[in-house]
Amino acid sequence: MDQLLIQTAWLIPLYALAGALLSVIWFPSITRRTGPRPSGYLNTLMTLVALVHSLLILPSVWQQPQFFDYPWLEVAGLRLALPLEVSTVTVSALVLINGLNLLAQVFAMGYLELDWGWARFFSVMALFEAGMSALVLCDSLFFSYMVLEILTLGTYLLIGFWFNQSLVVTGARDAFLTKRVGDLFLLMGVVALLPLAGTWNFHELATWAAGARVDPTVITLVGLALLAGPLGKCAQFPLHLWLDEAMEGPIPASILRNSVVVTTGTWVLVKMAPVLALSPVVQTATVAVGAATALGATLIAIAQIDAKRVLSYSVSAFMGLTLVAVGTGHPQTALLIVLTYALGMALLVMAVGAVIWNSITQDVTKLGGLWSRRPVSGLAFVVGALGLVALPPLGGFWSLGELVQSLWSSDPLVAALVVLVNGLTAFSLTRAFSLIFLGHPQQMTERSPEVHWPMAVPMLVGLGLVLHLPLVLQAAGWLPATLSLTPALALTGATGIGIAAGAWVFARPGAALPVRLGAVQAFFAYDLYSVKLYRLTVVAVVGIISRVVDWLDRNLVDALVNALGLFSIISGQGLRYTTNGRLGFYVLTIMGGLILLGLYLTWPLSGSLWAMAPWSPVPA
Amino acid sequence: MLTLLILIPLAGSLVAAWLPRAWAVGFALATWFESLWVLQQFDLHTPGLQLLEYQPWLPQLGLNYSLGVDGLSLPLVLLTSTITLLVLWGAPLSIPPERRQLFNSLVLLATSGVMASLVAQNLLMFLLFYELELIPFYLLIAVWGGQRREYAAMKFLIYTAVSGILILGGFLALGGLSGSLNFDYAQIHPEHLSQRTQLLILTLLLVGFAIKIPLVPFHTWLPDAYVEAPAPVAILLGGVLAKLGTYGLVRFGLGLFPDTWHLISPGLAAVASLTIIFGALAAIAQKDIKRMVAYSSVGHMGYVLLGVAASTPLALVGAVAQMVSHGLVLAFLFYLVGVIEVKVGTRELDVLNGLLNPLRGLPLTSAMLIAGGMASAGIPGLVGFIPEFLIFQGSFSAFPIPTLLAVLGTGLTAVYFVILLNRTCFGKLDNHTSYYPAVTWQEHAPALVLTGLILWFGIQPSWLVSWSESTTAALIAAINL
Repeated sequence: MDQLLIQTAWLIPLYALAGALLSVIWFPSITRRTGPRPSGYLNTLMTLVALVHSLLILPSVWQQPQFFDYPWLEVAGLRLALPLEVSTVTVSALVLINGLNLLAQVFAMGYLELDWGWARFFSVMALFEAGMSALVLCDSLFFSYMVLEILTLGTYLLIGFWFNQSLVVTGARDAFLTKRVGDLFLLMGVVALLPLAGTWNFHELATWAAGARVDPTVITLVGLALLAGPLGKCAQFPLHLWLDEAMEGPIPASILRNSVVVTTGTWVLVKMAPVLALSPVVQTATVAVGAATALGATLIAIAQIDAKRVLSYSVSAFMGLTLVAVGTGHPQTALLIVLTYALGMALLVMAVGAVIWNSITQDVTKLGGLWSRRPVSGLAFVVGALGLVALPPLGGFWSLGELVQSLWSSDPLVAALVVLVNGLTAFSLTRAFSLIFLGHPQQMTERSPEVHWPMAVPMLVGLGLVLHLPLVLQAAGWLPATLSLTPALALTGATGIGIAAGAWVFARPGAALPVRLGAVQAFFAYDLYSVKLYRLTVVAVVGIISRVVDWLDRNLVDALVNALGLFSIISGQGLRYTTNGRLGFYVLTIMGGLILLGLYLTWPLSGSLWAMAPWSPVPA
Repeated sequence: MLTLLILIPLAGSLVAAWLPRAWAVGFALATWFESLWVLQQFDLHTPGLQLLEYQPWLPQLGLNYSLGVDGLSLPLVLLTSTITLLVLWGAPLSIPPERRQLFNSLVLLATSGVMASLVAQNLLMFLLFYELELIPFYLLIAVWGGQRREYAAMKFLIYTAVSGILILGGFLALGGLSGSLNFDYAQIHPEHLSQRTQLLILTLLLVGFAIKIPLVPFHTWLPDAYVEAPAPVAILLGGVLAKLGTYGLVRFGLGLFPDTWHLISPGLAAVASLTIIFGALAAIAQKDIKRMVAYSSVGHMGYVLLGVAASTPLALVGAVAQMVSHGLVLAFLFYLVGVIEVKVGTRELDVLNGLLNPLRGLPLTSAMLIAGGMASAGIPGLVGFIPEFLIFQGSFSAFPIPTLLAVLGTGLTAVYFVILLNRTCFGKLDNHTSYYPAVTWQEHAPALVLTGLILWFGIQPSWLVSWSESTTAALIAAINL
């Protein structure tokens, strides 16, 4: 039985996919009869099935990985077989993905209570679940790339869910194009890697990388291309903009996106770590981008007034930390961060989503005083935040602690940066908590009761998960073997200082709110002006070039080719008026065609003339 | 029998001119079954020509009725019969009832011609039908086209006629200089000619086919022809007729001049990336969705050329698969654009909005348009991905820079399709103007069939590539001798 379940692990992504396809039935006509809800129940059920399947096989594959190989396409010497890895890490990832998607879907039943687009929403969520499950199972760079591309399309559809709103439309566009930029670099890397390594299988790549002798320039270029794809997925500088705009989409989607979808980039990076390690330049670039994003995005988060965006920039920041971990050669630590981060962030987004749902605003300056009215949301926010940052004994402490400890002696500067980012995140989340839950009720929060059960239950479950995560880590043996005192103290201290400072600035009685810092604040609040920067550079350049090309096409190429003698007839349009009415025109044309044909048929007779031509055939 | 591929539509075109539409669809269906029969008879592992037929026709001209099919023509035969069937099935949407019989007849005539060109094994016979095509297509554009139909039809006619003349010149030189005055493919041996002569002939053929495909800078007839033509004709032009250009390029360029090919292939690769980038950039600037799709077609033919130029086994398989994929996707897009044009009454990006609206918009059509755009942009899981990927992977070792430029081109493809989808499907529907007639299931049907094909070949691309694999491998082997 166990073995059968393991052998059918490939079904796990397909459950969700089947649900997504079946949702097509709830196209408008049937929705009028049944309402949109059955599609949601169906998809949630499929997610449950996938979760149960993953949980059932987890004990059997614990420390006993199994590998499968399914032929897909074999052409002209290129063999594309789908390799699956069913192991501790991949099945744990499946549990995480399916579990969080289950929570997000139940949450969505409450959040989208009055929405008619359930079929569309749930099927795209299922697409994400299927895609991510396939991504973690597959052991091949090529198929990972395929999945990432499909998920890019999924992002477009999911952000564009409320496509009536103009900001949603532009957000969906930017998300798609930004991620596509990353994907295409990844594609270039995938294409270029095969002639070097001869395989896309991650395990074989690792073996190859161990003894590879390659041109440093080539492998650096390939490595940078491979890095660019994850950069887009993880919303790292300079491809971070999409995540901010993605916040225009519905919150249940954000639960999944902020917690696990962004980590697909980290996942691929971890899998490719041996290849990236071939080039010191690539490793440095990974650390540099990750560190810059971690610090920059946290500062941006502090300056946001949109509750969702406060969280979304922290997403970029934590993904930056995972990049730092991979770039410094600690991929396992990156995965641990992903795990502790995903649960904490999912809980945070649910808490904020619950507040937004019936407070009608996501502007933190218009919220306040919700702690007494919203105990569940408030507790969820607190626990999620504490699980995210480094505070013993919760999850974030162990993962960040492991990272800082491993960097402490080798890269003290980077370690210090991680500690700093942790402190700033604590500050940022304390700020958000203070503005939303503390202080006096404002207009939007006067009548803001706790949410109903479809949203409260997932929050409570998430809360329990975050609180129990350390026990799970211990049982699984994933806690760091030793954690020396200094890094642990540094991290905890930073968290404490961050919370205290945040509370002092934003929660102290008589605090001068809102805090204004002029140009500095604006610089971070407007995301380092990167929207403007893009509009002035990339967008403008493509726009201008395409218009120039269009102009050239109309006025130069067309005219030039037309001007080549024969074509001048049309551009002069003389021929159009030389015939009386259409019929004559057609007859003329047909006659012309026939004359041409006749010519073709008789012309070969003059073939003998050709034999006398100067280029007469060379005797064999 | 391959002859039936030509005869059934030809007979159909005679019959359909007088009898109701069902007859035309019936003949198209018969052609489709015949093409399936050919597939069933075809041995995928034999690289050479199969199902040969031979009849002397005008031997003194070297013109013989000589038919055969190989892995290069088979996918295109299947594509042609499928698309013809869908076009005739879906034609009532955009072709008014009066003179519809003439329309059906001309479509079948055109199909017959394309089939004959694809299975012909004689240079003159190929050319004869290649040119005969012009008459039905010219009429189809000129009679049923949009406002500037006469201009577009004339431009199409003249460009393509010039293409024919250049190719004729090349063929005559081939036949004449080979000394045999027999234009059967098997009898043509240009490898005895001096390299200079070979280059000269090859250039003639290249320019001729480049006009037909078309490649930048010979492409300007295409936007006019595709946009002015009614949707079903645009589908035939882009889905079927344009393939004769790429087919000719492989069959007569790469196939007949294996020794000279490597001399021109770097230039071709450059032209290919130029075509890809140029087509995509021009598409970004368009305001008419049909014109945008037309330019996308220009760009996508560039991928085929890139694969052919690279001439590695992988790239060539990819190129043949890309011809089929491009045919399906382009037919799909033009059909959906046709639906939108008929139901909404405009193709202007600045006017269209919010068609995904489930109640008052065209939700199913919009959803399929998203799928079509994404397939064209090369999203995996849809038909467009694997061919492009094989071309990239196969060409990278031969021409790294043009390949990377082509990858960039797929990024630009995504840009204009996102523009198209954002403006057309997303956004807020204007409640005052949105009284659109419902799209019936009958009208949805051809698009649904194409959706199925696009998904199926995306998920299971082995079929797409296995049809041509042994033939393309043999072609490449001839080059590398």
